[in-house]
Amino acid sequence: MENKKTIVIDPVTRIEGHAKITLHLNDQGDVADARFHVTQFRGFEKFCEGRPFTEMPSLMARICGICPVSHLIASAKACDALLAVRIPPAADKLRRVINMAQIVQSHALSVFHLSSPDLLLGMDADPAKSNLWGVFEKDPQLARDGIHLRQFGQQIIERLGGKRIHPAWVVPGGVSQPLSQQDRDAILSAIPEALTIALRTLSWLKKITETFREEVISFGNFPSLFMGTVKENGGITFYDGKIRFGDATGNIAADGLDPARYFDFLGEKVETWSYLKSSYYKPHGFPDGMYRVGPLARLNVVDRCGTELADQELAEFKELQRGAVLSSFHYHLARLIEILYCVERLEHLLNDPEILSKHVRSEAKPNAPEGVGSAEAPRGTLFHHYKIDEHGLIRWANLIIATGQNNLAMNRSVLQVAKHFVRGNALMPGMLNRVEAVIRSYDPCLSCSTHALGEMPLRVQLLDPEGSILAEVVRP
Amino acid sequence: MPRVLIIAYGNPLRCDDGLAWRVAEALSQPDLPSDIAIITSHQLTPELAQPISQASTILFLDAARSGVPGDVLSVPLNPQPGSSAFTHNFSPQALLAIAQELYGLSAEAFLISVSGECFDHGDTLSPKVFESLPRVIHHVRELSNRSASAIVPSS
Repeated sequence: MENKKTIVIDPVTRIEGHAKITLHLNDQGDVADARFHVTQFRGFEKFCEGRPFTEMPSLMARICGICPVSHLIASAKACDALLAVRIPPAADKLRRVINMAQIVQSHALSVFHLSSPDLLLGMDADPAKSNLWGVFEKDPQLARDGIHLRQFGQQIIERLGGKRIHPAWVVPGGVSQPLSQQDRDAILSAIPEALTIALRTLSWLKKITETFREEVISFGNFPSLFMGTVKENGGITFYDGKIRFGDATGNIAADGLDPARYFDFLGEKVETWSYLKSSYYKPHGFPDGMYRVGPLARLNVVDRCGTELADQELAEFKELQRGAVLSSFHYHLARLIEILYCVERLEHLLNDPEILSKHVRSEAKPNAPEGVGSAEAPRGTLFHHYKIDEHGLIRWANLIIATGQNNLAMNRSVLQVAKHFVRGNALMPGMLNRVEAVIRSYDPCLSCSTHALGEMPLRVQLLDPEGSILAEVVRP
Repeated sequence: MPRVLIIAYGNPLRCDDGLAWRVAEALSQPDLPSDIAIITSHQLTPELAQPISQASTILFLDAARSGVPGDVLSVPLNPQPGSSAFTHNFSPQALLAIAQELYGLSAEAFLISVSGECFDHGDTLSPKVFESLPRVIHHVRELSNRSASAIVPSS
C-alpha cells in the first residue's frame, strides 16, 4: 500500500473567505493529489424562503462585502422577471454604470491588494514581508494607484447608491433614484486619472509577466471550456446578453444560450470534502464539462470590447497563446483590461444625456411565479433564480456563483502547480505560496460562493500517515 | 479638504458595535462646520489612508470590547505599521502609517472609544452605551474645536 503524507495549507491567505488546501504526497515526496476545500458554510438560499421578493436585492447584497452590487443586479433582474416589466432606459444604463464601477473596485482589490505582493515582491519573497506593507515599501506609486482605483469605483457606487457597501439603490423595476448632473459631472471628472492608472498598471504587469515564465506555464495552464455573457455582436457585456462557451482551441463551443435557461446547460455536483459545489457544462458531463468563468474566460469568448484602448489590449491578449489563452496566470492581465474597458465605457454611458432622466423605475405587481436574473460579476457569471407564491413570498431560491463555476478548474490548477513546484522532502514557503497564488489568480470569493471573516494566518503542516507533524511553516 | 476628519467605524447591525455610527448621525446636522468631514465604515480599509492624509486632525470613533460598559476612553495615536497579510481590516495606527508612508501624513490623531456591553445581532445600543452618547459627542466637538483654535493664527 502506498505510504501517503499530506501537506495542509489552512487557511489560504489573501482571498475572500475561508479555505484550505491539502496536498497528498507519495513515498518519493512528490505530489500525488491536491484539493481546494472551502470550509465556510452560509446558506442564503434557505433563509430567504418566506421573505417578500421585493426584499431580495437588499438581502442578497449582504452575501458579500466586496461584490454586493453584482448580487443586487442579478437579484433585481430576477425580480424584474417576476414583475414581467421592462425597466426604463435610464435605469438600464445606471445599473450598467454601478455594475462596472464595482468591477473596477473589485478587480483593483484583487490586483493591487491581494496579488500585488506576489507579483511585485516575487513568489519566493520572505512571507513576513509578502503583504501590502512590502508593496508600500517597494513601490508606493503602485500602492497609491491601487488605492485610487478602488476609490474611483467605490465613490461611483457611493454617489449612485448612497453608500459604498450594501447600497439598496438597485430595486425591482429599475433604480430608486435618478442620477444628478452634479454627481454625473463629478464621476466624469475622475475618469482621466483612472484611465492613466489603468494604462500604467497594464504596462507594468505586461513587463513583469516576463519574469514569471514558470508560473505562466504551470498556473492552471490546461485545456478547458470558457463561459461568459456576450452581446449580440459578440462584444463584452457585464449586464445582459446571451451565454457563450468557447473551447481551448479558441472556437465557439455553444452560443446564444438563454441565461434564464441556465439549468439546461449547467449542472452542479456536491463533493463531500468541500462546501463549494462544482459546476460543469452538462453536455460534456462531470468532470469533462469543466469550464472557467471570470475575466480570463470573458476575454477568451468575446470578439471585441467595443472601446478603443481596451480593444487594442484585447488584440494583444489574444496573441498570448495559440487558440484560447489557457494559463490562469493571465487572469491578472484580463482583470486590468476589463478595468480599462469599464473606465472607457463609463465615460460613454455618462455622456449619454438619457442617463440623467428622472424616469428610473417601472412599477408593477408580480406577474410571473418564477424569475431568473443573471449578470457578469467581477469573478464570473452570476445567476439568481427565484420562485414565489401568490402573495409574492419567496418559496425557493437558487444561486449559481462564479467561484463555484471555477471550482473544478481551481482544483486542477492547485494540482498542476503543486506537482510543478512542491517537493515534500524539502518544503519551502515559496513552493506553497505558489499553490496559494494560483488560487488568488482566480480571485475566489468564498463568502459569495457558499452563500465569514476573521484572522487569516497561514499554517502549512507536513504530516506523516499517523498525523504527526513532520514539518511546519507558519506565516504571520 | 476637511480640517478634521471623523472616521466612525463598526457594524451598526451588531448593537453596541454601531455606537460610532450613532455618534456620526448625531454630528451630521446642518450646523456641522464645513471643515469637518465624517466617514462611516464597517471596518478600516487601506483606501481611508488618502482622505486621512488630507486632514490635520483625525478622530477615530469605535466601540471597545474591554472596560466598563459606557466608559469613554480618548487616546492620542501614532502611526504604527502592521505586518498582517489581512487586507481589509487595518488598525487606526496602521492606517496612519499607510497615510504617512504613501502620502506624507503629519496629522494628529485620536481614538475615542466606548466600552460596549452587547455585540449581538441588533440595531439598538445597550442602556449604558446609549447614556454615553452625549459625552462622546461633547468630547468629539471639544477635540474638533481645540484643533480649530490650535491652527488659527493669533492676531
